[in-house]
Amino acid sequence: MRNPLLSAESITVRFGGVVALDKVSLAVDEGSFVGLVGPNGAGKTTMFGVLSGLIRPNSGKVAIDGAVVTRSTPQRRANLGVSRTFQRLELFGELTVREHLVLAYRVRQRRDRSFFRDLVGLGNRPSPGEDVVVDELLRLLTLRDVANRPAVLLPLGTGRLVEVGRALAGSPRVVLLDEPTSGLGSDETERLAATLQSIRAEHNVAFVLVEHDVDLVLSLADTITVLDFGQIIAQGTPEDIRASREVQEAYLGVITEPN
Amino acid sequence: MSAFILSGLVIGSIYAISALGLVLTYTSSRVLNFAHGALAYFAAVFYYWLNNQQGWSIPAAAIVTILVMCPALGLFLWAILFRRLTHAPSEVRFVSTVGLWVALPALTKILFPFSKTETFDAQGLVKSPPDIFNVLGINVNENQAAVLISAVVVVVTLTIVLRATPIGLTTRATVDSPRTARISGINTSAITAGSWMAGTALAGFAGVLLTPILGLSEIQFTFLLVVSLAAAVIGRLTSLPLTFAGAMAIGLIQGISVDFLPDEGVLARGFRPSLPFVAMLIALLAYQGLRRERFEVDLRSGPAEERAPVPERWRGWRAAIGPLTLCIILLSVPLWLDDFWVGVVSQGIALAILYLTFTLVIGEGGMLSLCQITLAGIGAFSAARLAAESGVPVGVALLAGAAIAVPIGLVVALISLRLGDIYLALATLAFALLVENLVFARSDFENFGAGVALARPVFLGIDFNDRTNFYLLLVAVFLLSALLIATLRRATSGMVFAALRSSETASATTGIGVIRTKLILFAASSFIAGLGGGLLAMTIGRATTTTFNLLVGVVWIAIVVTWGVRSVVGALLAGIIFAVIPQQLSLILVLIAVMIVAGLIVRLIITKSIRTPIGAISGVMLLIGGIFIVRWLLDIEVSESWVDVPTMLFGLGAIGLAREPQGLVADTINRFRLRRIRTEARLLNTQSQVGT
Repeated sequence: MRNPLLSAESITVRFGGVVALDKVSLAVDEGSFVGLVGPNGAGKTTMFGVLSGLIRPNSGKVAIDGAVVTRSTPQRRANLGVSRTFQRLELFGELTVREHLVLAYRVRQRRDRSFFRDLVGLGNRPSPGEDVVVDELLRLLTLRDVANRPAVLLPLGTGRLVEVGRALAGSPRVVLLDEPTSGLGSDETERLAATLQSIRAEHNVAFVLVEHDVDLVLSLADTITVLDFGQIIAQGTPEDIRASREVQEAYLGVITEPN
Repeated sequence: MSAFILSGLVIGSIYAISALGLVLTYTSSRVLNFAHGALAYFAAVFYYWLNNQQGWSIPAAAIVTILVMCPALGLFLWAILFRRLTHAPSEVRFVSTVGLWVALPALTKILFPFSKTETFDAQGLVKSPPDIFNVLGINVNENQAAVLISAVVVVVTLTIVLRATPIGLTTRATVDSPRTARISGINTSAITAGSWMAGTALAGFAGVLLTPILGLSEIQFTFLLVVSLAAAVIGRLTSLPLTFAGAMAIGLIQGISVDFLPDEGVLARGFRPSLPFVAMLIALLAYQGLRRERFEVDLRSGPAEERAPVPERWRGWRAAIGPLTLCIILLSVPLWLDDFWVGVVSQGIALAILYLTFTLVIGEGGMLSLCQITLAGIGAFSAARLAAESGVPVGVALLAGAAIAVPIGLVVALISLRLGDIYLALATLAFALLVENLVFARSDFENFGAGVALARPVFLGIDFNDRTNFYLLLVAVFLLSALLIATLRRATSGMVFAALRSSETASATTGIGVIRTKLILFAASSFIAGLGGGLLAMTIGRATTTTFNLLVGVVWIAIVVTWGVRSVVGALLAGIIFAVIPQQLSLILVLIAVMIVAGLIVRLIITKSIRTPIGAISGVMLLIGGIFIVRWLLDIEVSESWVDVPTMLFGLGAIGLAREPQGLVADTINRFRLRRIRTEARLLNTQSQVGT
């Protein structure tokens, strides 16, 4: 059997006395679309932290293509093709929107990028293909109008799109999206969903989506994992999840008879 | 033996009182106060002034100093400074408190001129000389007893307040989670303000207790700061009991060691200053293993600060205007200045080269390093001794000295950087103190104040002993270094640095090697420091320990920050001004007066309040008043009492301009631009609303 692109096996994370994640497993196959939903405090963002290498789990392991990376740095994982966005924006305030994408592209493409080359002025020539990739992403994410604006001056919704653009510009294999649509209008949300689907189709990029908008997740994802209080309460296709009693309990607090 | 334990306990108690204050303020506001030692110094001088000079009784002076003046000062500083720092980027937090560290002692010397000379006749909390009495067969003097009782009182009071009162509960809640505390209706501002008052009072208390033991000199209080920081690192900057234990342990080891150490030699002199560094080193290495989360959770919340963006660069021939003008001005200096002033400006350029180290490490890297001056000293002394003792050609020795500074700087960065920028600041400070006392204080370096001579080179048939030739050499080195930095900034590396300054987390997940990038920057800045140090020594003619003194280095940071820590022109201005101050103080004072008046008027124009009658009147008054002040300054005989004024103002400048990496001039321009951009953004928003 082929190894999944990105997998987490029985991850446990404790913060002091609080168990944020309790033996949670997750597998992301190449080109798949995984949804991760759950109420506030369910451990979704913690899971992203573990997958991207920002949080080291108390137990369990993370693997990329079957190779264990539990103790690898975030930058190593990024270089292996795992990129992510942040729910609380982590933009590079002084850089323009375009520079965010250019930087992500260059960091991934030129791993030999050396300090000394930059020092003698050879480092700032765009590599072939850079402009094509960056301009296409700016167009897809409708960021062309603000391309030369520094990130500090952007409204929240636009900032989220820049986060997505930065994550995609490094030609990743899997992108972890942490609530990319909060702060977006319904038109913008639809356009973003369409963009994600077209990128997935064209470049075979896998996505993991954390989102409060459950309908959006149900419409986009192939498989969905539902977390509550750090534990998986349901896992399956969107149809399974719609029918699950546990999910309805967690979200609504009451048991309704499925018809 | 027991006498040494006693003296260790006494000094440990003083360290502990100071360290508790430091940790208290840090935990409540996330601002590590590098001015903590300066606060203690100010309080000690104030107490000495009340007690010795004004003839106040000991209890009255102590109560007024520790329980009235210090809390008031703490509240004042919190209100105008620390309050606004909690949500600021880390380098702004560092630089602001470093600015205070520079400004406060200078202010002390201006207010209390007697503090310029060291005093040893200060009384503590008991009359001097203290009586000696016998407890359990040990001779204890009253002063020691007073210190021990003070420590017990402080610990008991803190424990009771924090553990058994409602105030303590709310304080602990605020420390754990400011946001949740605020939501539950706790007045977190009052708690933070209170902790700054208490923290300052503890600093002052430690200062008053320390003076009779070690005398009233600025350097002793720097040492107090570094020990407090080391104890705080042992307590992981959060735990009060661990901090207390750490401070006591350092005091005890220091006390007991006196029994074992030889009376003279390197070990006798170097053991005490090396203690905090060693303690910090052990704690740092131990805590590296314990850490699980890779990155310090950043407590910055709230909206991003509004800042005018960097303007678009001029392209084509226009891009060359600025640099060309700079080159022409610099190269033409020997044509319109006499030999003496060429010498002064030479020194300024050598300093400017050295200051580029701050441009890299603070400006680009956003890291606060307090040991750049030490690295400069290492470069200078290495070059001088290589040339003098091994007969290496001076030019080669200069480069070798710079190269030696690199691995040394890298080791300091390596042991601390992984734990976060804050630990880098602490480790570099402890390292600077260590080298200053253990290496630079040795007689083969210090040489009775004469230092080690460093001749100027002769190569390619050019004799650089000629003032003009040497000046041009310095200008060439400066321009080349500045060009390299500018090139680096425009390349991908520049974007990487900017990314790191904004968000290390996102940089890492984008694939940038955070630690690697910072180490490269630190290595480059160490090289520049070493090179600049060597060139400065060459300009003066010798490498001396007073040139590369830690406290001078702190003033350097303040002056560079005032003129622009991310700008090479800022480094140049800072260097030249620092070189001119000792030669022509009145010129600098006039310059400062002009700039303050001009700055105030510009502010009036920006806020448009100049259009109101009151604004217009105050503008005119400012102008007239300014002219009078300048004329008065031109006439006055500049005496000793004015020496500390520029230092104080640059300290204040660093506090005020910590947020503006381009410095004073850019700050003023940016205020105009920010206003324009705001108006544009408002227009844009209205348009888009109309559009939908």
